[in-house]
Amino acid sequence: MVGIYWLASYPKSGNTWLRAFLRNLQEDGEAPVDINELRTGNIASARGWLDQVLGFDTAELTPEEVERLRPAVYRWSLQDEGAAIGYHKIHDAYTLTADGEPLVSREATLGALYLIRNPLDVAPSAANHWHCTVEEAIARMGNPRMALAKSRRALPSQVQQCLGTWSEHVRSWVEAPGLRVKIIRFEDMLGAPRPTFTAAAAFLGLPQDAARIDKAIRFSAFGELARQEAQRGFHERPQHTERFFRRGRSGDWRTQLTAGQVERIIDDHAEVMRRFGYLDA
Amino acid sequence: MIYTCYGLTFVSDLALPELLAAAASAARSEPDVQIRLGQVPTEGLTDGRQRGPFLWVSPRALWLRVPRIARFLVSDGNLITIAPEPGVDEDSIRVFLLGSALGALLFQRGLLVLHGNAIRIGEQCMVCVGASGAGKSTLAAGFLRRGYEILGDDVIAVDADCRALPGFPRIKLWQDTAQRLHIDTAQLRRIRPALAKFNYPLASPVIGVPLPIRWVYILGSHPLPDTRCEPIHGLERFTPLRNNTYRVRFLEGMALKREHLQLCGKLAGRIHLTRITRPERGFELDALVDRILADLAAHP
Repeated sequence: MVGIYWLASYPKSGNTWLRAFLRNLQEDGEAPVDINELRTGNIASARGWLDQVLGFDTAELTPEEVERLRPAVYRWSLQDEGAAIGYHKIHDAYTLTADGEPLVSREATLGALYLIRNPLDVAPSAANHWHCTVEEAIARMGNPRMALAKSRRALPSQVQQCLGTWSEHVRSWVEAPGLRVKIIRFEDMLGAPRPTFTAAAAFLGLPQDAARIDKAIRFSAFGELARQEAQRGFHERPQHTERFFRRGRSGDWRTQLTAGQVERIIDDHAEVMRRFGYLDA
Repeated sequence: MIYTCYGLTFVSDLALPELLAAAASAARSEPDVQIRLGQVPTEGLTDGRQRGPFLWVSPRALWLRVPRIARFLVSDGNLITIAPEPGVDEDSIRVFLLGSALGALLFQRGLLVLHGNAIRIGEQCMVCVGASGAGKSTLAAGFLRRGYEILGDDVIAVDADCRALPGFPRIKLWQDTAQRLHIDTAQLRRIRPALAKFNYPLASPVIGVPLPIRWVYILGSHPLPDTRCEPIHGLERFTPLRNNTYRVRFLEGMALKREHLQLCGKLAGRIHLTRITRPERGFELDALVDRILADLAAHP
């Protein structure tokens, strides 16, 4: 079997943590995998991947043109030399291109593991990651036109990724017609790691024996990731933030958000929050 | 029209304002390369292999489709046939003609093609390669501002004697780069109508003779505040150099693949190769130019 499993999430929802777990599970080594060697596959928006497969520069294309070409790039992974199952991180929302086909390509996609985290905790984490105020992060999470790598005046190393609002992002993936999707809550990765990570491994067709899962969980625990970052740094950390692996907790919003900020997030996202157990009643 | 670049004469159906017009005497001899508007198969090559969703390669030909822009057939190192899509503008065709199609043609002529730019340093040159977005064109513009000559930007052709051939006199600049260099883009032509990326013609004609490559820098960025210079020694030099070949995929299935790898090895053996990694934010252009100039001086 060949194809792509997407590791999909809104930013700051545990994607890197999950990838660290997967790498350790695959590696099954004596020591934790280096966080700077988490080679689970390119992020879907990696310009280098697209350029290499296309044979011409996405730098010379508009974001709209790039978007229309992306499904063909992912589809190519089915027939490329050494084709295998790939696990690729993606932050784009699940959308259709101008040609009406899924951005991620229906044919290329084996399934999507969708990571969801309480938006009350996403907001302060995203503010730190995006180097903006919490207010601004909340505004972005509520902005239907929110996109990453949006510059049209310079060349980011990733192509533009449309996220939509936080709620739209969640719904785009979990309600995508015909998509095999497994939803994993960040809070369950923390609170009930063994069943949660085992379910993730099962969905992705990876080994599930208990000893191996436990070791991979241990080798990718927050303390281990933070220890490695403190020692050697982490190349995915944005330059202006102090640490990538900041707290790795849930519920911190209680001390980090004002009542008004909480209210605003709930106003924006109540329906989806309720659906995934982030809001009582 | 007849043009010259990479030491070759081109006769073209399509006007190519980025290139230098050839001397009148060139019109009397056979051109090295023809660029024609004409028929190109719609579904790849019958005698080749598909190497990408829009790419086919055979020993002597390369077929490339840029959807909604044009199909290109590059053959025998001397002919590029272009079939434009209906309604497309010429600027858009030229961007991919002077990029991928020209790169493939140079490969077919047995040249080594690197993805980067070449800057004249005395009677030699240095080449800067690196991933898209690493800042190669910005760096080239930085050297230009200091009065250095640019041999080529984007597609660098290297001959069997490991010399960089002079390309054509322009660099492509994003709006942001132009702004920081105080270049007024109002006077410049966009490389394509919809992009905030400009064709910046170089005022002085580029030097007309090939120059030996002495230094190659692999430009990258990292989330740290310092700029790092790490020399790469011995046999370690081959792989990073090959990885910065222009579109490695074009080589698969080409008749001259072995020769290219040999030439890559030969070049690796005689250059001073350095990985230079800048902070991803706060690109200090002048400091980076100074750093490279100091490194050049330390390794003459």
